[in-house]
Amino acid sequence: MLFLALRHLLSRKRQTILIFFGISLGTLIFTVISGMQLGMREFITSRLLSNTSHIKISARDRLIDKVEITKRFYGDDAHVHWVIPPYGKREEAHIIYPQGWFDRLRDDPEVLGYSPSLTMNCIITRGASRYPATLSGIIPSLHERVMNLNRYITAGKLSDLSDGGNKVIVGTGVLSKVGAQLGDTLLVSSGLGEQRPLKIVGTLELGVKQVDETLMIGALRDVQQMNKTPGHLTEIAVALVDMDRAQAIADTWQLTSRDNVESWNQANAQFLQIFSIQDITRNVITFAILIVAGFGIYNVLSIMVSQKRREIAILRSIGYTPRQIVELFLIQGIILGVTGAVIGLVIGHLINRYLETITLGISMGLGNHLIISYAPSIYITGFLLAFISAVLASILPARAAGKLTPLEIIRSDT
Amino acid sequence: MTIIANNLIKEFGKPATRVIHGVNLEIHDSEFVAISGRSGSGKSTLLYLLSTLDEASDGEILIDGKNPKMMSVEEIHRFRNQNLGFVFQFHHLLPELTSIENVLLPARRNNHHKEKSAYALELLNHFGIANKKDKLPSQMSGGEQQRVAIARALIMQPRYLFADEPTGSLDSKNGRMVMDILMRANQEWQTTVVLVTHEPDYAAMAQREIYLVDGRISTRQDDLAASN
Repeated sequence: MLFLALRHLLSRKRQTILIFFGISLGTLIFTVISGMQLGMREFITSRLLSNTSHIKISARDRLIDKVEITKRFYGDDAHVHWVIPPYGKREEAHIIYPQGWFDRLRDDPEVLGYSPSLTMNCIITRGASRYPATLSGIIPSLHERVMNLNRYITAGKLSDLSDGGNKVIVGTGVLSKVGAQLGDTLLVSSGLGEQRPLKIVGTLELGVKQVDETLMIGALRDVQQMNKTPGHLTEIAVALVDMDRAQAIADTWQLTSRDNVESWNQANAQFLQIFSIQDITRNVITFAILIVAGFGIYNVLSIMVSQKRREIAILRSIGYTPRQIVELFLIQGIILGVTGAVIGLVIGHLINRYLETITLGISMGLGNHLIISYAPSIYITGFLLAFISAVLASILPARAAGKLTPLEIIRSDT
Repeated sequence: MTIIANNLIKEFGKPATRVIHGVNLEIHDSEFVAISGRSGSGKSTLLYLLSTLDEASDGEILIDGKNPKMMSVEEIHRFRNQNLGFVFQFHHLLPELTSIENVLLPARRNNHHKEKSAYALELLNHFGIANKKDKLPSQMSGGEQQRVAIARALIMQPRYLFADEPTGSLDSKNGRMVMDILMRANQEWQTTVVLVTHEPDYAAMAQREIYLVDGRISTRQDDLAASN
């Protein structure tokens, strides 16, 4: 039936080209929009995940509680009216029992690695100027198992911090703000005591301005000493074997902990919401186009069926079964769907290749070009959408053709 | 091998209008039979009943001892493809196929078109249109188109050829040519031909005439006598 189906399509070139164009346009737009949106998403996600672990265990601020203070000082039955109630933080937030977490994480088969850290605010003094920054203390060997920071290190390497010794890797934005360079020494103060000289042994650029202009990374022990909180941690970052289990595992851990336990998707809920809205927009546009193309196929095939009634009658009288007649028209829809989709995908891919070369006025990560995704899922989804809509649009006319009996057509002709 | 009709009845519509009234007949192997009668006498309806394209309201038809009603959809279509050929008043060629492709259409159903292509050419040659083998129907005259349609009906070397007013849309010269081809098919290849025609001259060319009056078998003489 392929031979006849092809002849039918070729005998109506204009209609065929029109439908072909509709389907190709639908898949092309889907490919381009998806390529751009998913490219941007991959960029944002990679930035998020390089700063966010699968699960983040963080210290909970412990505030002074008026009722608790009252009970502690005046007993359970006392009724005290405070003129100025006690308020404020009890102490610097830190993880209550880090060793308990380490034991638990070490033994958990779902945990790939964990990285303890202490993050503190600090002030860099450079000549007469002062600049606020954030100093994170990590253990490089553990951190490398959790986050791929080396990718963003533009000079030096993370392991340079392994043996401590007041060394830091500094965001490129910080360097330009304070006017320092690799190998210089910065005077850094935690606000709790004397300034400490930290030598710049590396630079870091995540491509996120807010982070690059504030972040410094040092050895955990150095930072704990500077902060005068030996043994304290503000965060334990955890990498899982399966990141999709992060939410479930975080929920379980939270049940037995006073610290905050947050999965990567909870931490970045606002981005994930934007992604869902993008998905909806993209799917609505694509479905709209494919529905239009589908109606095109439906209309052309319906018209073809009514124009081909005589031919259907003769085919039936010479032994073609109703099923073969259905196949004849269904194949035409499938040919239109498959070829239209393939052409649309190829042109969409070429457009994406071109878009990638356009230089933008803004910085995108480490470059200034649009980031395009070429994920196979885009092409598979685009193809399936076009194919399924073409098949669905062909079913009704094809079935109508299959139901025609030779005699009713011959009688209506004579 | 015969076609047997037993007490054949065909009704249309609601309330039912009877078009064929209890027809009994037998068509023998290699016979050339003409079904004739006035317009509306039920001759085309009888042809479609005999050729499996239509189902009787009552009575039974046996072709080669088989009742088409008892066949599955696949069986009846295969039977048509391999044993029956049809020629209609209008040629019903597929406009996007060349004449040779149209002739080979029945063979294409079972992917036998390559084996049959030499025979298709032979048929076109026989009917004097071999030079038109690569022409589309729109590039041929009505007579040539009808000859292609007959070649298509004969390509599977069917035992039965059913022709419904095949000369109806042709001029007398082309009509005569079509009749010669049908006669030749009957004489040379022993194809059983059942021809519906209202032309007395063409009906007279058949070995036997079945004359219908209001859906009943009669004779031309009785019909003439009744109308006088």
